Amino acid sequence: MSTSSDVMPAGVSAAGVKGPGNWSLRCLLIGIVFSLLSLFGLLFTTDASDPSRPFLGYMLAVVYWLSILIGMQFLIMLWWMFDAGWSVIIRRQFEHMISALPWLGVLLLPLVIMGLVDTQSGKVAWVWMSMDAPVAGTSGTVADDVLYLHKAPYLNNPFFLLRFFIYFAVWAGLAWAFRTWSFRMDATGDHKYVHRSRVLAAFGLFLSAMATTFASIDWFMTLNYHWFSTMFGVWYFSAAMRAALAAGVLVLFYMGSRTDGLKGIVNSAHYHFMGCLMLAFTVFWAYISFSQYFLIYNANIPEETFWYNIREMNKDGTYNSWWWISMALIFAYFLFPFLYLLWHRNKQGNRLKFIAIWILVFHFIDLYWNIMPQKLWADNEMGYDVRYFTVSWIDVTMFIGVGGIVLWSFLRSASQERPIPIRDPRIKESLNYHE
Amino acid sequence: MSKTYGILALFDTPPAIYEAAKSVRKAGYTKWDVITPCPLHGMDGAMGITRSKVPIFTFIGGFIGFWVGMFIAWYMGAYDYPLIVNGMPYFSPIFPFPVAYEMTILLAAFGTLGGMFVTNRLPMHYHPVMNYDRFERLTDDKFAVIIEAEDALFDMQKTREFLESFGPAEVTVITDEEEAE
Amino acid sequence: MPRRPIIENGRNFAWITQKVCGIVEGRTPQWWWVAFVISCMVSSFTLMGLVYLVSTGTGVWGLRSPVMWGWAIVNFVFWIGIGHAGTLISAILCLLRQKWRTSINRAAEAMTIFAVVCAGIFPLFHVGRVWFGWWLLPIPNSNAIWPNFRSPLEWDVFAVSTYGTVSLLFWYMGLIPDLATLRDRTRMVFEKRVAEAKTGFAVGFEKAYFVFRKYFYGILAMGWRGSNRHWSNYEMAYLLLAGLATPLVLSVHTVVSFDFAVANLPGWHTTIFPPYFVAGAIFSGFGMVLTLMLPLRALFGLQDLITQYHIDCMCKICLATGSMVGYAYAMEFFIAWYGANPYEGFAFVNRAFGQYAWAYWIMISCNVITPQFFWFKWARKNLMLVWILSCFINVGMWFERFVITVSSLANDFMPSNWDYYSPTVVDIFTFFGTFGLFGVLFLLFIRFLPLLAFAEIKANSPDADVHRDSHH
Repeated sequence: MSTSSDVMPAGVSAAGVKGPGNWSLRCLLIGIVFSLLSLFGLLFTTDASDPSRPFLGYMLAVVYWLSILIGMQFLIMLWWMFDAGWSVIIRRQFEHMISALPWLGVLLLPLVIMGLVDTQSGKVAWVWMSMDAPVAGTSGTVADDVLYLHKAPYLNNPFFLLRFFIYFAVWAGLAWAFRTWSFRMDATGDHKYVHRSRVLAAFGLFLSAMATTFASIDWFMTLNYHWFSTMFGVWYFSAAMRAALAAGVLVLFYMGSRTDGLKGIVNSAHYHFMGCLMLAFTVFWAYISFSQYFLIYNANIPEETFWYNIREMNKDGTYNSWWWISMALIFAYFLFPFLYLLWHRNKQGNRLKFIAIWILVFHFIDLYWNIMPQKLWADNEMGYDVRYFTVSWIDVTMFIGVGGIVLWSFLRSASQERPIPIRDPRIKESLNYHE
Repeated sequence: MSKTYGILALFDTPPAIYEAAKSVRKAGYTKWDVITPCPLHGMDGAMGITRSKVPIFTFIGGFIGFWVGMFIAWYMGAYDYPLIVNGMPYFSPIFPFPVAYEMTILLAAFGTLGGMFVTNRLPMHYHPVMNYDRFERLTDDKFAVIIEAEDALFDMQKTREFLESFGPAEVTVITDEEEAE
Repeated sequence: MPRRPIIENGRNFAWITQKVCGIVEGRTPQWWWVAFVISCMVSSFTLMGLVYLVSTGTGVWGLRSPVMWGWAIVNFVFWIGIGHAGTLISAILCLLRQKWRTSINRAAEAMTIFAVVCAGIFPLFHVGRVWFGWWLLPIPNSNAIWPNFRSPLEWDVFAVSTYGTVSLLFWYMGLIPDLATLRDRTRMVFEKRVAEAKTGFAVGFEKAYFVFRKYFYGILAMGWRGSNRHWSNYEMAYLLLAGLATPLVLSVHTVVSFDFAVANLPGWHTTIFPPYFVAGAIFSGFGMVLTLMLPLRALFGLQDLITQYHIDCMCKICLATGSMVGYAYAMEFFIAWYGANPYEGFAFVNRAFGQYAWAYWIMISCNVITPQFFWFKWARKNLMLVWILSCFINVGMWFERFVITVSSLANDFMPSNWDYYSPTVVDIFTFFGTFGLFGVLFLLFIRFLPLLAFAEIKANSPDADVHRDSHH
């Protein structure tokens, strides 16, 4: 058995982030209140023109926070795979964050149950779940739709429910294993946990890649279930990585500001390299999003182009609100952060904090853009309307609610374990990391 | 007659040259250099070298490249000889994007390499330091500090003693033959 | 858990210089001549194939409706893909600060450039009348018509020529300090060799060779003198070129994938093609790096510089990219069904069970199953096995392009239009010969340029640590 001796540098908190300033209970309270409020809105508000809008707002908020945690879990696994040294102290913060993964499954569950139970009111945005719902743009219902009938072996309630549980079993199971092993190594210094984590990371990358891909297909792509794109899962992955890095930087700033956290431990090189990764995934996100658009634009096949059409124009060909969002995504979500992060000075301090917040804001808008536009049934000559860009109150309350629960889970974990993995075999490398 | 170019001190190890470079800088010399067979991490800081100017050249190259790419697609496809192909518009920023992108990288790469040559004043096939009789070791496994005679603080005797105080393997006067002739 | 050293047996700077320069400065080994002559002979097949093609017409290739893209595009994509590992090693691993790259990046970059040369032959000659090749460039032809920027083939012209040029620049910039070392050693080598010369003719040869070397390395080294003020700019430029080459290498195979994916043909039009092609290209490239470097390592005794650690890393990259390719295969299949387009669905069923099923299963077994061996340490340590597996990867990736290109074209929308495509002997000769051409170029590189980027190896060795004394 190989172990590390205690390499704890002076001043590392032995008990985690505690005491004044740890608002975990307040976060929990906010989380519960706002989530319940949103759930109330989901169940009891009705909007005749667009009954499924609260459903999407609720989902959007959960998958927003979910993407951050999935991305962090991917980063943890990638760092294990690469045997990365510099990132060890950051990995611990992410281990605290991913403790919230099972809770997100609980928060998303009402939507799935609603889909199984409520087939009449039209509140469920997964149109294919209600057999007698009219299909926008055609004259029939889901039950007569040949495209649905072809996809029915995949798109049916029992299988959908099963997959939902598999996804969360994968994410939560991986989170549990990585967290437990890492914390145990703090106590015992036993390196067998390193080897275990690395093996699990190899399998976990595969499992989580599959879970993330099919979750994005199940929850987002099937909102317009006629549409299909092989790239879609990769888009969600790339968006999740961007969000995770941006959120990770903010977590580092918070922990770095606390003496019982990472004050004096996290240094400018850590921030700089996180900034570099943010730049890399900004490019990767743009690459994936652009390629998908570019191929569908050039091939110009109506069965695919409609998805982009509803994100650009009304049925009479005039630009709708999504066109402006599209432009914002190109220029404000890609071009600006890209140019901004090229400058090395912007990868430090408040400048880095600014761009991290910027990316997190636009990540939300990116999710709006990919999830929200849907053909709505309308009794007119074209047979459909497009749901425009709006921000409803449920989007906001649920964002706060899920955020409260994620932060509670993070702070609770951070108050129980040390802020850095003191007996990790690479901890010295991480502490001494410099450019 | 040959003219003195400077005094060179030869060192065997990176730590020795690093300490020497720090001291030379501290002593206030400005026209001096360090010669190493490979880049040494931290040496820029020891010598007080500011961040390289090469990125400016890269940026200019990339900027020109992108707009040239877009311009040729517009000029050739929409202005000079418009042809309807594929039911696509004569010009749109979407389909020429790959071309503009490749042009950005091409000219940025030329800008970078050119910028490296410009900032380093290369090619320079003759330089006085090459007159040093063990110069071939400086691109192999030895390290040297050279203080130029043109430096305001240069003094044949004092500078030599100053360099000898670091315990170098040898200290030599480098002459510049060609300029003197 | 200490890090594994990048250089084994604690070799010092002088040993590294002597080892790498010695390959270029020593006498030409006999096996080199044997390999060179064989490569020249093999490459003559390409020459013959192309002469026959140009003098007779493109009909000598097995292309006819509906398969108008056959071996030529397959070979083009294959060779371009091979090149990607070189750029990946030199650029992406540089940005990721993977120090192990320094022992293999020079040879891998050379491989990139030579692979682009081999790749370029096919699209250039498939036009038949090669003297009209300049129509591809943005120059108006005799009817004052410009190239069509709406065509992915025109994007390819820009992508591939940019790729070749930038790879060359990057390679050359990396060579400059090493060429300076060779330049500085020229006289020493000459004196040693002239002393060994026995006949007057031999002395004369050494003198002529000395002059050649003096000017060849002297001019190319650009007067590099190892000034730290230069290194500062040099390192910045190197980092920037790495930063440029990374999006470039991704874009090149992306644009190659656009050749297929912007079409409406079932099996070609799928949005995952860009990253899938890039992953496949890196996969095939690393396969080729292993195929080339394992024998070279043994021949030149480079075990201390290209260590088991390097081989492990390369095997793992093969495993990772091979698995990504496997993911793409799975997604294509799933979406082909999920998309509910009967043509798309048929294209994939036909690939797996139709007349080209043999090629499909070669592809799957070589690309998805082969790399799975690299999970195991014993497999990565058995160099013979690694070499054989790397050859399988090369074969598998060629078949991937064959499956994509041919199976979709041969069985498209109208069954009355279907056909079975077979290459002609000219196709086979031309492709076979490109391996010879690649070999010739690579052997010349080994003979005249430093095989390993030793300035970079030194910079990453523990000896180059300026704080070394204070650590101990």
